[in-house]
Parts: sequence; C-alpha cells; structure tokens
Amino acid sequence: MRELLQILQPARHHWRWMAAGIVLGVVVIAANTALMAVSGWFIASMAVAGAAKLSFNFFFPSAAIRLLAILRTVGRYGERLVTHEAAFHILASLRVWFFKRLIPLAPAGLQRYAGGDLAGRLRADVDSLENLYLRIIAPLCTGLLSILLAGLFVAWFSRSAAVVLLGLLLLAGLLLPLAIRRLAETPGQRSAELAGELRSQVTQGLQGAEELLLLGASEQQAAQVDRLSGDLVAQQLQLGRLGGLTLAGLTASAGVALALIALVVIPELQQQQVSGPQLVMLLLFGAAAFEAVGPCAHALQLIPATRQAARRIQQLAAATPALPEPLVSLQPQGFRIELQQVSCSYGINSPAVDRFSLTLDEGERLALVGPSGSGKSTLVELLLRFRPYRGSITIGGVELTDLAANDLSRLVAALPQQPHLFNSTIRENILLGRQLGEEQLTTVLYDCCLTEWIASLPRGLDTQVGEAGCAVSGGEARRIALARVLVTDTPVLLLDEPSEGLDAATEQTLVERLTKRLTDRTVLVATHRPACLGLAHRVVRIETTR
Amino acid sequence: MQTTDAHSSPEPWLRQQARTVRGRMLAAILWSLAGGLLIILQARLLATVCQRAVLEGIGLNPLLPLLAGVGGIALLRGLASYLGEHAAVKAAAQVRQQVRSQLYRRLLQLKPAGLAGEAGPLTETVTAGVEGLEAYIARFLPQMAVAGMLPLAMLLVVLPTEWRSGLVLLFSAPFIPLLMILIGKGTEALNRRQWERLSRMAGHLLDLVQGLPDLKIFGAAKREAELVATVSDQYRRGTMTVLRVAFLSAFALEFFATVGTAVVAVLIGFRLLAGDLTLLDGLFVLLLAPEFYLPLRNLGLSYHSRMNGMAAAERIIPLLNQSTAADEPGGLPIPAGAVELVCEAVSFRYGGQRGGVQDVSLKVPAGSLTALVGASGSGKSTLARLLLGLARPESGRITVGGADLTRLDQTAWRQQLAWVPQQPFFCTASIRENLLLGRPDADDAALDQALQAVALGAVLARLPQGLDTMLGDRGAGLSGGELRRLALGRVLLRDAGLVVLDEPTAGLDAANEQLVLDAVEELAAGRTVLVISHREATIARCGQVIELANGRLERVAAPQQYLELAP
Repeated sequence: MRELLQILQPARHHWRWMAAGIVLGVVVIAANTALMAVSGWFIASMAVAGAAKLSFNFFFPSAAIRLLAILRTVGRYGERLVTHEAAFHILASLRVWFFKRLIPLAPAGLQRYAGGDLAGRLRADVDSLENLYLRIIAPLCTGLLSILLAGLFVAWFSRSAAVVLLGLLLLAGLLLPLAIRRLAETPGQRSAELAGELRSQVTQGLQGAEELLLLGASEQQAAQVDRLSGDLVAQQLQLGRLGGLTLAGLTASAGVALALIALVVIPELQQQQVSGPQLVMLLLFGAAAFEAVGPCAHALQLIPATRQAARRIQQLAAATPALPEPLVSLQPQGFRIELQQVSCSYGINSPAVDRFSLTLDEGERLALVGPSGSGKSTLVELLLRFRPYRGSITIGGVELTDLAANDLSRLVAALPQQPHLFNSTIRENILLGRQLGEEQLTTVLYDCCLTEWIASLPRGLDTQVGEAGCAVSGGEARRIALARVLVTDTPVLLLDEPSEGLDAATEQTLVERLTKRLTDRTVLVATHRPACLGLAHRVVRIETTR
Repeated sequence: MQTTDAHSSPEPWLRQQARTVRGRMLAAILWSLAGGLLIILQARLLATVCQRAVLEGIGLNPLLPLLAGVGGIALLRGLASYLGEHAAVKAAAQVRQQVRSQLYRRLLQLKPAGLAGEAGPLTETVTAGVEGLEAYIARFLPQMAVAGMLPLAMLLVVLPTEWRSGLVLLFSAPFIPLLMILIGKGTEALNRRQWERLSRMAGHLLDLVQGLPDLKIFGAAKREAELVATVSDQYRRGTMTVLRVAFLSAFALEFFATVGTAVVAVLIGFRLLAGDLTLLDGLFVLLLAPEFYLPLRNLGLSYHSRMNGMAAAERIIPLLNQSTAADEPGGLPIPAGAVELVCEAVSFRYGGQRGGVQDVSLKVPAGSLTALVGASGSGKSTLARLLLGLARPESGRITVGGADLTRLDQTAWRQQLAWVPQQPFFCTASIRENLLLGRPDADDAALDQALQAVALGAVLARLPQGLDTMLGDRGAGLSGGELRRLALGRVLLRDAGLVVLDEPTAGLDAANEQLVLDAVEELAAGRTVLVISHREATIARCGQVIELANGRLERVAAPQQYLELAP
C-alpha cells in the first residue's frame, strides 16, 4: 500500500478532490443503508400501531424515506463525477511528472526498460495507474469507513448485533478477499508467465509464418500454441473460480449476518432492550450494509498488479541518465567539433565505435561513409549527447559532458537514423513548435523535394500524419524529418542517411538543392549512398570495427 | 476491416460463439436464477421471523428453526452464486480457447500471403484481443438472461401478496429498459468516443516518449512537457462533459430503483397502519423490492462488458472472414530437376501501398546462385514471396520450367521449396526437433551430415547434450551466426529445388559470414538459390545480381559489374 501512496506523491495537491470523492462515497452508502433501515423501522412501527389501533406520526419517517431515496441517487451521481474528476486530475499530474522524469533518460536510458518493449509496457503500466484512485484507493477508503460507521450505528442499539455485523462485514470485505488473494498468487503469476510465453510463441509463429508453411510445420506450431493457450486458460479458470469464491462468500455472509443478528437481538427484544421495529430496522440495515463490501473486495484484488506497475514506473523514473546534465554548463567558443580516441559500446557487445578520431572545422561539410553496422549512426548519436563514451568529444572547446542538453540543441540539429514522426499534422511535425513564415517554409519544402507530394494531399501541410489515406512512406518520413532540421538556424547539422528510400533521380535533385542551401553551414552527413557524397568537401571512411 | 460493413454488429457472431457452449451458459443462467429464487424464500422466512417476534411476541427458541433456515439458504445462495460464476467463466474459457485456435490457424495461412498485416498487432489480437471476449460471454450474456426472467418471477410472487406494490414495481420496471435504451443509444456513442479519447491520450504520451530523442535534438522537450499538462487537462474537461451525460443513464436506473423501493415502503406502511396487511406480507414485499431491480441495474452496469466484447469481436471477425488467395486445385506436376523461374511482367501492389513490385520480367536460371538487391521497400521481399508462390501476381505470370506457377500442384510445389528468413523460426525445443521440422523422417546420420555441411559439427560436439540441447526462446543458446547455419542445415535436409535466403549474413562478423557463405555454396549444389542481401562478400559469390528499385527491375548484372558501381 505504501508504494501505491508513494506514486501518488506528485498528485498530492489534489487531496481535496480525492477526499471529497471518498466522503461522497460514504454518504451514498450511508443513505442507502439508512433508507432500508428507516423503511424497515417505519413499516414495522406502522404494523405495530395498526395492530394496536394506535395513531402513529408517519409524517417524519415517510418524508425521510423520500429524502434518503433522492440523496442516494443524486449522491451517487455526484460521487461518480467527483471521483472521476479526481482521477483525471491525478492522472494529469502523474503524466507530467513522469514525462519530465523521462526527458533526461532518453534514448539510452529507456532502452533498458522492459527489454525494449517500451511502448507496450509503458502503456500498460500507465493505464493501470489510471485505476489507482478510482478502483483501489477510493473504494477501499469508502468501504472501510462505511464498515466502521455501520458498526457504530448498530452498536447504538445493540452491541452484540454490532459485533456480529462488524465481524461478518470484515470477513467478507477484508479477510476473505485477502485470503483468496493469497490463493490466487500462484495461478496469477503462472498465468502472467503463460501469457508472456503465448505472446512470444504467437509472435514467432506469425513472423515465421512463411517458413512454417513451406516447412509444412504450421499445424505443428498451431498445436503448440493451442497447448499454451489451454494452459493459460486453465490458470485463468482457476483465478475465475477464486473470484467466484469471493462473490459467494459475500452473498453467504450477508445472509448469515441476518440470521445471526436476529439470533442475538430477539432475546434483547424479549428483555425490552430493543423494540420490535428496531429489530426490523437492524435486520434491513444489516442486509444493506453489505453493499459497502463488494467494491472493497474488488479493490483488494487489483492491488498486486497495480503495485507491480507502480514499482516499474518508480524504478524507471528514479534511474540515473546515461549522460547526466552538468551542474554548470560551460559556454562553447564557436562550434568546431573534435573527437579524440572515442569509443562506445552497447552493453557487453564488441564496441560499436572503437578509438575513433575526427575533426569537423567550422563551415566544413564532411561525409562519413562505411558499410552498415560500422558505427556511423552511433557516432551521430554520440555527438547528440545520447550515449556515454570514452575518449573526448568537444564542441567549441567544451567537452560534451560539460554542456547542457539545451545549449547543445542551440548549436546542433540532426536528422537521426530513425526519426520519429509525431501523431500530428505534417506542419507541426516540421515546426515542432517553432514559428516560421509561410514563405520560408515553402522554400524548405522545395529543398526537401516535398512540394509535389504535399500538393497532392487534399489537406496539404495540415494533413494528419498516419491519417487514413496518407500512409507516409519511409522516404517521405525522412524528408519530413529533414525539413525539421532545415527550419532550425543552428550552425551545425548532422544528417544520417538523408536520401534513404528515394529513387535515384529524386536523390540527385535533393542532393543538389541541399548543396546549394547548406553553403554556410557545418554539415556532417553519414551515408552509404554515393550520390550523397556530392554534399561533402571531404569524405571519411569508417571501417567495420567488428 | 474493409471486408465487414461498418454498421453490421458483431453481436450475432458473439452469440453464435456462446451457442457452442450452450450447456455451460444454460448452467450459468440456471444457477443465477436458482440464487434469485432462494432470495424469495429467504425473504419469506425472514419476514415470518419478524412477524412472530415483533407482533406475536414469540421467544427465540421456537424461531430457531426459521433462523437456521435463513442461514442455510444464505449458504445455498453462496453455493449457487459460485456454481453460476464457475459455469460462466468456464464457458468463456472454452470460447476463448476455440476462437484463439481457429484465429491463429487462419492467420498462419493469411500471413504468408501478405493478407493479414504486421505480426505485432496480429499477436495483440490473438492474445489480448481474444481475452476481451470473456466479458461478453461470462458477464453480459448471463446477466441479460437473468434480467429478463428474475424480475418477472419476483413480480409473480409480489402481485398476489400486495398487488398495489406489485403494480408500482411493474410500472417502474419498463421505464428502466426503456430509459436504458433511450439514454444508452446516446451514451454508447458518447462512451465509445470517450474510450477513443482515452486511448488517444494514452497514445499521445507514448508518442511523445517515443519521439523524445527528436524533441531533445530540437530542444523542444520542455515545451512538450507543458503540452502534456494541457492535453491531459483538455482531456479531463472533454471527458467530464461526456461523463456528465453518460452517468445520467446510471442515474436514471438508480432513481427508478430507489424511488420505486421508497414508494413501496410508504405504500406498505399505510396498508399496515390501516390493518389491511400483515407485517409478514408487508416486510416480504419490501425485502423483495430492491432485489427486483437488482438484475436490471446489473445489466445496466454491464454495458462495459458488452463493449469490450464487441470491440474484440470487431477485430477478430474480419480476420476470420478474410479469404485466402483461392487455392485453385492446380494439378500440374512439378517439372523435374533444378528449378528455372521466369517472371513475365509481374505486378503485385498491396492495394497501392509501397513494397510492391511492378512490371518485373526476369529469369532465374536453373541451378543458379542469384543475389536479389535493393533498398528496403524496393519490393525484394514481395518478389521473393511471389516466386515462392506465397502470393499470386495481380498481373503477369511466373513460370516454373515453362509451367504456370499458379497451376502447379501447390502441396507438391511447397515440398520443393525452402525459405530462410532473416530471423529463422526456432521453437523452444531441442536442436533435433528444430532440425526435424524440415524433414520429420530424417535419421541421426542425416542430421549429422547436414550439421557437418554447415560447419556446426564441432559446435554440437562441444554441447554436452548434443542434438538434445534445448534451444531457448528464439533460439537462445546459440549465437546469431550459429542459428543461421542451423537454419541452413535444416534446409539442406529438405529435398528442395528452390531455396530463398533473406539476408543470411546480415549482422555477422567476417569469420561467421565466411562460414555461412560456405554453407550456402554447399546448399547451392544442384539447387536454384536466391539470396536477398546487401553484403559485398555475399554478392561476390553469386552468379548474377538482380537489382530492384521502387518495385521495378533496375538491372540484372554480373557481381563484379554490380560491385564496381556500388560505393
């Protein structure tokens, strides 16, 4: 529980919303229980009065019944609105907090997370945090408070009945779900493992579908998947059975509570400690009080999985960046780039870059060539301060480790190996929040050979990337990312394979236009395409280091 | 998605699935009904206890059997609820297993023909997507049946006891489904939109996280962090507007149920005061009033289950309905000897998307070792797929030794083929079992021979368990180069006339590359081999080079000629 509350820290200033949701939840349960209790007391009193031919002031109770009915329905509506409002406030705070934590980690620090399946894992984990307040904290607090209040109310009339009711409410709402959660641990873990195995088997099978078909082994693999799926479903069945047990326990406890309350209160009725209508009231109150228990039990079941997600997110957020921001950012003099004996390796593999040295003078345009896998893209990433390195990389005389990321971005812009296109319009993807005159944008588009393609789109620059009918090809995506670089005014540009995915004619045009445009910029272009060499004054070849 | 009409509901299909587990569904419904009938009995007993104790002044002892009855029925209700839940969960489990099995087999056929899409989303549908069916089968359907029957049963008991209250229930009840339908129609659309928004917001954060490196390059990360706050806030406002309306349906449901109960209570109270009714009957009816509404309220709340199930079904149905390229029973026998392939103006364009080929004419001579080169997306994989007969040309034709590929006996043709993709398929089983995928009847001597040929003999000899060594996930345990060679060994075992290798040496160091290429040459003896590759060392060993660019044939050249022009 502590871990769950800890992850709420960044959202603690929304405590008023959270508390209001919980209070309203208690009001709703109280109103419903009171409604049943007053109704029971009312009709029993009316029956007693009717049998004795006495008069009975029915005005107050019948008004209370109507009032409680309305309080319950309106309160329920309000509770839902307030708890959702609270949940969204919390979510917004958590998202911002989380995103800010990730900024210094990207990209090297994120690759370690969840074995590379960042997107899938992250989505599932943040999704399960969405449940944290709405499905766990609020119902648990509401339920426990209501149970407590119910016990106090009943104790006013009969202590023994209070003990019975409290005992059974806690049994059905707390003890039984906790016990069942323990029983569910093994199948829960097993089913998570099996789900993972199934996922990887299915992925492998689908990726290898051609091979399997040609090997005549499709059926064999499908049978294997069937077996895994069967095992998984069997574990899930086990979990479902345990869920049924929780439900059954709740139903049975509620009924048994009625019998036991009657058992302890009827003798008290005989001794005139409790009146007849009060007995009926207590019975109906007891039956309704179990409404508080259901959500509470459900919340307890959700805790372990949510705790796992919270733990992973905490771990990621607490990670130290591969290249921490310097305490004091030094100011570079100019932007001459110098690499001396630079090495870099991913994990335990052989180095991706091995003792590499290079100088890029101001105003120079240099092409870095070499077969794929020779470390060209790694070098670009090193210059972007994305990875830790050995040796020395300076820009304007300042070592990259002493330069703040923000200062670097004012000097260097880059087209990375795998640029990301955001789920937004082409215009926003190019500008990334920058202001630029329409005329300048038009020339950038022209220089990136994008003009014709964009003119062919019905909504032009305002076309949503990835929107139906506008599947952006790899080459188009690269050129959008290239335009992103050209709209900046940084002195240094790093271009990783700017012409990939283009046919020879367009490539030629692109290189010519870029050469003309980039006369006064310092450029490093990493490529294995001969046409791109036209961009450079000087060509440096990297040999495969592996 | 194109194959189904946007307006056609997936519900008939879902119900059809439920019919395959009719027995269990029936059990689930019957146990729930039994539980409901036990409630009636329990209410009657409890009301009797109150009547006796409160009005007749009877002590505890004579009432004990009645109380034991109340407790006993409580336990029975627990049991009924457990059995009902068990049956429902089991029914849903069986449906999931059936659908997954059927869907996966279907995809294994669709995928090679390029008809199903990427492996990632498909995996998602086979795993998590199929799980989504549970809610519909195990929750929504039984709840619907119970909501149709149980209130009726309660009404039949209440009407003869206290007809006025019965009428209150009777007339408030139709409002509930009516309102549910009225508001439900509106909110279903609203809810759908809300779920879409939710996933769009989740998508927004992921999108930004994936693009973080780009944002950092352009110093835009801080600005986007503020945007995360703005977008989340907009989302909150938008969703709350939707929810204010969406919660109205639940509000209406609760309103009728609660006010109905309250009216019944007041009504009974006055009848009791007038002495027209016994406390027994009055309390009995009051106890039943909330239970009368309960199944209807539950049904109202289970629309999420319904939506989940429908969303899952909407993804599954089109895949199940997608027809594979009609496997016409072409009966022509396979020409004997090494395979000669000829493409005549072949086009295949995936409905206009990139990665297709257009108007390609070329010849792959029998027994040749041919390299297929070109940038990614230039159509290499598509051409390979067409040559293997996995996909059929949209126009033009491919001939094998003069016979049209599509008119060959497909089963016999597939036995002639071997294909080694970039990441060969290995299952979590022993090396032997993985090799036998190629030829189930091969003996150890044949396996050894194949392993020697791909220079894996020494590697296997070092493993303590030899051929029985278990491979981990995706072949974990052997190096990348060793796995490639193992896949080549598997192909050697097959008596294939045409072998296609996709990037057999990508990502390998020089030493491993040489070993793999030696194995490829071994393989090429007496077979027609097509190698998709970028690597110089690989291309240099081939007899001819076919280059594709943007789906068109750029040129066919000798390796030396091609390599001289390359950078």
